[in-house]
Amino acid sequence: MKLGKYWGYILLIIVVFAVPVVVRNDYYLHILVLCAINIMLTASLRSIATSGQISLGHAGFMCIGAYASAIMSMKFGVPVYASMLLGGVTALVVAAIISYPITRVKTVYFVMLTMFLGTVVTLVVTQWRSLTGGTTGIINIPPLGTISIFGLSIDFSSKMPNLYFAIILMLIILLFLYRIDRSYIGSTLQAISQDDTLVASIGINLVKYKIIMFCIGCFIAGLVGGFYAHYMSVIVPNSFSLFYSIYLLVYMIVGGTNRFAGAILGAFILTLVPEVSRVFLEYQPFIFVLVLYLVIFLLPGGLVSLPKYILSRIKK
Amino acid sequence: MLETRKLTKNFKGLHAVTDLDLSIDVGEIVGLIGPNGAGKTTVFNLITGFLKPTKGEVIFDGEDITGKKPHVIAKRGVVRTFQLDRIFLDFSVIQNVVTASHLYAGVGFLEAVFDTSHYKEKNKGAWDHAMKILEFVKLENKKNEIARNLSHGHQKLLAIAVGLAANPKILLLDEPLGGMNPAEVDSTLKIIGEIRNRGTAILLIEHNMKAVMSTCDRLIVLNFGEEIARGTPEEMQQNNDVIHAYLGVGKYAA
Repeated sequence: MKLGKYWGYILLIIVVFAVPVVVRNDYYLHILVLCAINIMLTASLRSIATSGQISLGHAGFMCIGAYASAIMSMKFGVPVYASMLLGGVTALVVAAIISYPITRVKTVYFVMLTMFLGTVVTLVVTQWRSLTGGTTGIINIPPLGTISIFGLSIDFSSKMPNLYFAIILMLIILLFLYRIDRSYIGSTLQAISQDDTLVASIGINLVKYKIIMFCIGCFIAGLVGGFYAHYMSVIVPNSFSLFYSIYLLVYMIVGGTNRFAGAILGAFILTLVPEVSRVFLEYQPFIFVLVLYLVIFLLPGGLVSLPKYILSRIKK
Repeated sequence: MLETRKLTKNFKGLHAVTDLDLSIDVGEIVGLIGPNGAGKTTVFNLITGFLKPTKGEVIFDGEDITGKKPHVIAKRGVVRTFQLDRIFLDFSVIQNVVTASHLYAGVGFLEAVFDTSHYKEKNKGAWDHAMKILEFVKLENKKNEIARNLSHGHQKLLAIAVGLAANPKILLLDEPLGGMNPAEVDSTLKIIGEIRNRGTAILLIEHNMKAVMSTCDRLIVLNFGEEIARGTPEEMQQNNDVIHAYLGVGKYAA
């Protein structure tokens, strides 16, 4: 394996692992965890979108995973790591069931149907008080279980271990999604979004591909939801509202859908900036709309295409 | 090899295709001709599963494929191209063909994700297969061009290449010569002939009469969804019904 060409990535990973140690402030550690969470969610959303399926219900699947994991670990004594995985599986099952009808419809209707789905999920969670605690949600969710490796025992009651866990989870998920994107699966999905009739005429089962990608993406959302529940120790249905789904789409579009790194960039910047700037936070919805307009009209490739754009302007 | 029996399609009162019996064997180039609106593309859609017939059957290699999904039929070996040519405009020329040839390679999902050596091997196989096809249609020096930037004639050629990459036993070409200049028509006809020589049967819809008469072994003539005549090109040129409906009399005769 030629390690030479990967030195850029290796450097990046070293920096990423070093940051939590440098940043001592609990508040900033928390923001970085949120960044990691949003990066995973946006990347999985983008992967689903490569086949032309724009999901407005991603936060709904995160919600399913969060509540499933919380309930399983608290009411059924499932160990937290297992319940987190099962949270992802629950989201996957829901995605698999719903995918049969919805992957066959036109993009516009797919967007609407996923939006309804996400809303229905939060409604169910709000109404089913006996199971989910309704609008007041679930509190005292147990944190991730203590791990003992190399004689050290790592407990997750403080922010730092949680951040490292989030980073490692994020890197694994990103690698997985990246590999899919770069393989024939990713290019077939892109082909489907360009011309699904042509794809059918050469023997590719496009519905199968769309369903598989949708289910994988929603599984990741559920898994991340599970982590979120055990990290925050409190979850309420409001955290997984339609707004969150919309924000994820904004992160994806502003970052740039054409390149894999776009989702990462968009999620990172747009999660960090509102938390760091009070002004931004106050006017967040307006600023988001403005940024969205600027990107769509001036830089359709998203922030990730900025270097290329600048270079082409300089050459002129 | 491919047979249709009493193939019929009605759209709420419009009889698009009525009782069509068609058959094609290995090594044949059969032309499906007729005036515009005669139902030729509808026949293609019915054979390849893009439309379900109202009545009748489509039999391929002994198997009833009537009304099956398009991708299932394509996987069996019945591949079609489109009249308004369809290609992946944002992909490069070679990427276009590779998309179809991965089917030929047959790779698994997990292997692709983990980039196993088996996957690398199959992937290379698919790209090599795509290159061979590009060389066959003489588009190999444009392999990295974005399909959108190709000339019209080259785009139509690419559409044929994409269809070929799916390893068809029979190729249904819908007006492959549309909008081509005479030089392009000649080279494309040579390629079509060569495809037949290598063992793929061809069903051709074309309006270019010179091309049809010189390339096809047999013709089936359609008008208003019904077959009005069938036979060799020479026979068709003498047939009065065909001349009246399609070939034309006097100044504009083919």
